[in-house]
Amino acid sequence: MTPALTYAAVSVGAPILAAVVLAIVPGLRRRGAPAAFLCILGSVAAFGAAVLMLLDRLGGGAAEVASIPWLKSGGLPIADIGLRADGVSASMLAVVTLVALSVQVFSLGYMKSEEPPAFGRYFTYHALFLFSMNVLVVAPNLLQLFAGWELVGVTSYLLIGFYFKKPSAARAAVKAFWVTKFADMGLLFGLLVLYVATGSFGWNAHLTPGIATAVTLLFFFAVVGKSAQFPLHVWLPDAMEGPTPVSALLHAATMVAAGVYLVVRANPLFEQSETTRTVMLVLGAGTALFAALLALVQTDIKKVLAYSTCSQLGYMVAALGAGSMVGGFFHLTTHAFFKALLFLAAGSAIHAVHSNEIGDMGGLAKKMPLTGGAFIIGALALAGVPGLSGFFSKDLVLESVEGKLGSVPYAALLATAFLTAFYMGRVVFVAFYGKPSAKAAHAHEGDWSMRAPLVVLAALTVVGGAFTGTFTKLHGEEWHVHFGGGPAIAASLGLFGIGAAFVVYGRGPRAEAPAVIAFVDGVARTRIVNRLYEGLFHNVALVVADSLAWVDRYIVDGLINGLGYGVLEAGRRARPIQTGLAPDYVLAVIVGAIGVGLWAVWS
Amino acid sequence: MMLSHCLLLASALFAVGVYGLLTRRQAVAVLLSIELMANAANLCFIAFGHFRGGATGQTFALFSLAITVAEVAIGLALVILLYRSHGDTKVDLARELRQ
Repeated sequence: MTPALTYAAVSVGAPILAAVVLAIVPGLRRRGAPAAFLCILGSVAAFGAAVLMLLDRLGGGAAEVASIPWLKSGGLPIADIGLRADGVSASMLAVVTLVALSVQVFSLGYMKSEEPPAFGRYFTYHALFLFSMNVLVVAPNLLQLFAGWELVGVTSYLLIGFYFKKPSAARAAVKAFWVTKFADMGLLFGLLVLYVATGSFGWNAHLTPGIATAVTLLFFFAVVGKSAQFPLHVWLPDAMEGPTPVSALLHAATMVAAGVYLVVRANPLFEQSETTRTVMLVLGAGTALFAALLALVQTDIKKVLAYSTCSQLGYMVAALGAGSMVGGFFHLTTHAFFKALLFLAAGSAIHAVHSNEIGDMGGLAKKMPLTGGAFIIGALALAGVPGLSGFFSKDLVLESVEGKLGSVPYAALLATAFLTAFYMGRVVFVAFYGKPSAKAAHAHEGDWSMRAPLVVLAALTVVGGAFTGTFTKLHGEEWHVHFGGGPAIAASLGLFGIGAAFVVYGRGPRAEAPAVIAFVDGVARTRIVNRLYEGLFHNVALVVADSLAWVDRYIVDGLINGLGYGVLEAGRRARPIQTGLAPDYVLAVIVGAIGVGLWAVWS
Repeated sequence: MMLSHCLLLASALFAVGVYGLLTRRQAVAVLLSIELMANAANLCFIAFGHFRGGATGQTFALFSLAITVAEVAIGLALVILLYRSHGDTKVDLARELRQ
């Protein structure tokens, strides 16, 4: 094995080792703190290996693959299972392990008040999640990627439902699981079509245009579910019922980015279908705008961030649809850092205030300067303020989309840039400035474990943009610093959005919202998409299920029950023959003997 | 005396036994009927043994007698048990298996 593959193996192996030890040694898990340290130890190893692998890949060289045959059929393996070390997997692995490590360290402080067994369980899930995500990232073929994809789905379910005694959390976990599972069918069927067409699960096949469109559209359906694009975005805001660090890790930085990662990975397939890419461009830009509008009216800080995540994932999907694999992937990377930063800072604020509502906060910047500073850096990066990482990646996205489809998606993304700056400005001004509410009066910073990750992620958010050239080069594209109209428009829209937010919310939360926002709020309150699904569920899914249940109950079960009833009835009819009187039995024996005798004589 | 005379006598004896077995309700009478049937068989053994020559048939008959004695002993024990549990010795009282 080459060094790069060894690093990949360590980053997959260390977390699963931790998870397995924690799973089979209950004493360790139930004690809490030792479990956390074991999990973090695994993540440190994984992170170290991922960094070494990235450095190795930055040196250049072809992709390296090590795999063993898996699923043998008729002597021939259907697929391989193994590791792939190239620029894409190395950069994704570094992002995932770094964010995971930060989140786990942050959780030490954030989850401190949990009972030790719950604390240990939490970290066991985290180790399992990191393993699953890494399996997905280093997959040498789409089948292993699918396995990792499902594994992160399961661990996401476990982590969203971590507070399983809370009915809303349990429901949110089930909802997230169902919605993504429904979408996952697309990936499964896409894989089947791909396998039938090419005989392999690789992503480098050349397909006929029709097959390419079918496969990539099916894949994209799964992406819509996993990356929370319209209309399957409904699970992501609900998933905020999980602990905040979980939201930072799974529902902002890593798992939801898996959808985008799938497109990046299978880019050679997606490049073959113009239709799919057009669909992606439209849906991505639409989701970006739609989710940004919804983010305007949320009062729960985590929900603002959740809709913002949907919106930014829309950016990535739009970039991929426009054919810029690097743009989408780089936005994924910078977004992972600043959104994880925002979520962790929000978690720190929630931890201090004991409420998710931005109205319950206020003036936190003064009481918690580090948290406030971190949140503001994240918000500025998200708003695309020049110099921060978000500016560079957003610029790459906008540049790729410009001029496509009559510039409608471009306009939508620019509008989103403005709205993004506006809603982040709103959260900052309401929650971190203005008058502290009663709940925020005694807010103070958490311990070192909650502060250190904020510093690390904030630093990456600030300097991330400097690596734009390195990143694009790693993925085989040149990048030039340019001072054209596009970046200037985006940046000024961002600043304008922040300014508008200051005008509206600069003096604290307002009783009467501007007319536009009130309108959006009204629309959001109808929960139209959720209701649509509920209607579909009740009127279609339940009706189909009920009729199938009828067939099962009365036809399938009826056959079995009828057979049993028939045997019972036959027995009941035959019972009177048995009188219990010895002479009757003797008579039967004698009649039988005579019968046998006559038969013997005559034949 | 011919073999067929002996067999006819044995058959008649056997038929009387069967008739008694089916019609008598007293357990002791049933036992007696069984005894008649057994002795019809013994008669056949002896008759065949006599006309064929040798002692085999008679030996069998002796064995059979010994076994019949044991059987009757068990049968009478059953009759006593029947009397104890039902207060009478009618066979149609013993129909617990039906229930």
